[in-house]
Amino acid sequence: MLEIADICAGYGGVPALRSIDFAVGQQEHVAILGPNGAGKTTLLKTISGTVEADSGSILFDGQDLLSQAPHRRVETGIVHVPQGRMIFASMTVSDNLRLGSHRRGARDRHDERRELVLEIFPALADMLGRDGGALSGGQQQMLAVARGVMACPRLLMLDEPSMGLAPRAADDIFEGIARLLKSETTAMIVVEQRAHEALEICDRAYVLESGEVALEATNRELLNDERLAAAYLGSEL
Amino acid sequence: MVEFLQFLVPGILIGGVYALLASGLGLIFGVMRVVNFAQADFMMLAMYLSWALFAGGVGLDPFLAVPAVFVLFLVLGMAVHWLFIRFVIGKRENHDAQVILTIGLGLIFQNLILIRYSSEPRVVAPSYANAGDFIGDIFISRVRLYAFLLSVLVAALLFLFLNRSRTGRAIRAASENWEAATYMGIDIDRTNRIAFGVGVALTAVGGSALVTFQSITPFVGFRFVVVMFAAVVLGGLGSVSGAFVGGVLIGIIQSVSQVWTSAAVKNVWVFALFLLILYVRPNGLFGKVQRAI
Ligand SMILES: Nc1ncnc2c1ncn2[C@@H]1O[C@H](COP(=O)(O)OP(=O)(O)OP(=O)(O)O)[C@@H](O)[C@H]1O
Ligand SMILES: [Mg+2]
Repeated sequence: MLEIADICAGYGGVPALRSIDFAVGQQEHVAILGPNGAGKTTLLKTISGTVEADSGSILFDGQDLLSQAPHRRVETGIVHVPQGRMIFASMTVSDNLRLGSHRRGARDRHDERRELVLEIFPALADMLGRDGGALSGGQQQMLAVARGVMACPRLLMLDEPSMGLAPRAADDIFEGIARLLKSETTAMIVVEQRAHEALEICDRAYVLESGEVALEATNRELLNDERLAAAYLGSEL
Repeated sequence: MVEFLQFLVPGILIGGVYALLASGLGLIFGVMRVVNFAQADFMMLAMYLSWALFAGGVGLDPFLAVPAVFVLFLVLGMAVHWLFIRFVIGKRENHDAQVILTIGLGLIFQNLILIRYSSEPRVVAPSYANAGDFIGDIFISRVRLYAFLLSVLVAALLFLFLNRSRTGRAIRAASENWEAATYMGIDIDRTNRIAFGVGVALTAVGGSALVTFQSITPFVGFRFVVVMFAAVVLGGLGSVSGAFVGGVLIGIIQSVSQVWTSAAVKNVWVFALFLLILYVRPNGLFGKVQRAI
């Protein structure tokens, strides 16, 4: 469904991605792992369009993505839940969710999607009238994921959904995502530092290092091969 | 006490118009971080349009012309954004370009009008221009009351637009975090264009509200530009509701100060208050660090 070939991108001439090949199949769940500064976020931003690729190609359902403006890409069903949550802090939880269904393809399904996200993250149900900024870190992350789900994603991209959360709050997020995947057939990319949790909900993983793909493997290969796990996932497993 | 009220009431009335003028400037800054130095000249253009519609044979009452002024300046503002402003939005190194562009636009507007209509002051005097009513001992000018009520009405409509409409919500989202808004599928260029158009139209309507008691010259903008900027900064940069409160406050100070000192120094009081408030609250009355409109 998503085919990335030979992508290079960077910031002000400093390369952050060097010739990345990457693919996500229909309804496939893919983890992106790797150390800080490896280029994971940059790869997601190149897909959603807030970072421009210097060269290479990205196809989504066979259509060229790079020639499309970022907001047009959302219309094709590519939904990015950014690192650091980026919820609209001065707006209510309700309004945040409403903005999630801003895109044309999701507009008419707002009520139905809202029911779904409140089932996935029941904690949000009591918060609908509160400002996003008044929520705890864990609740803000739930809201960020929920807002993405509102957009009826065909490819959901989650950038470090457990970042900065206590283990309990991180578990809540992963449980919510697992509940979502039971009822939805969306494809997904998850960037994570908590490799173990990510691999549990994914079929396949890429390890990025210094802007290059250092390893591509199925989650079974990674979890069962101690040598691979030790080399690429450090002490995490 | 009566004397105080005699100054307070007109202060509130003119303050409402200042609020409307300032809200347009505040909206534009809040959404796209552009300080529009041409804002008061859009007001001037709107005043000439109101005058032309009134005096130029059509005889259209300036208050009834407001919907037409709003629509025309909405379109004009969107066109100016599309032609010029969008190229200088965003990156930090664009700040100089923004200043030069908007000051330049203002100068062009002033001089085009100067060429076309000369610097002779124009007045719009409908039949009720000098009418008014006494409530107790306080005289309330009809045109100033209408101007105030118009400002309140437009403020309410702006509030509804920003809080209840899809586009308004998208504008607020884009002003708070353009990157997150992009991930919602919001077209930032479009929300900026609409916000610029609405911001210009708000100030233009403020101009229409003024024409019945403010004579018009190509340089009338200078009389209001300080008030507009002070109101926006007082309220907290980028906060539209803050700009409103700032505008009303300035109207009151200007007027009430005349109980004690002459009208010539009314703006000294405004600046004294300005410095005091910024000393106590450096981000303005409603300023937050992370802000939305
Ligand atoms: N806005 C930016 N401007 C300049 N350089 C940047 C910017 N964002 C990222 N970089 C650089 O690009 C490289 C890749 O960064 P990126 O954020 O993609 O890494 P990451 O794998 O997501 O790391 P993390 O785990 O810390 O989120 C890093 O060297 C980083 O310093
Ligand atoms: Mg990152």
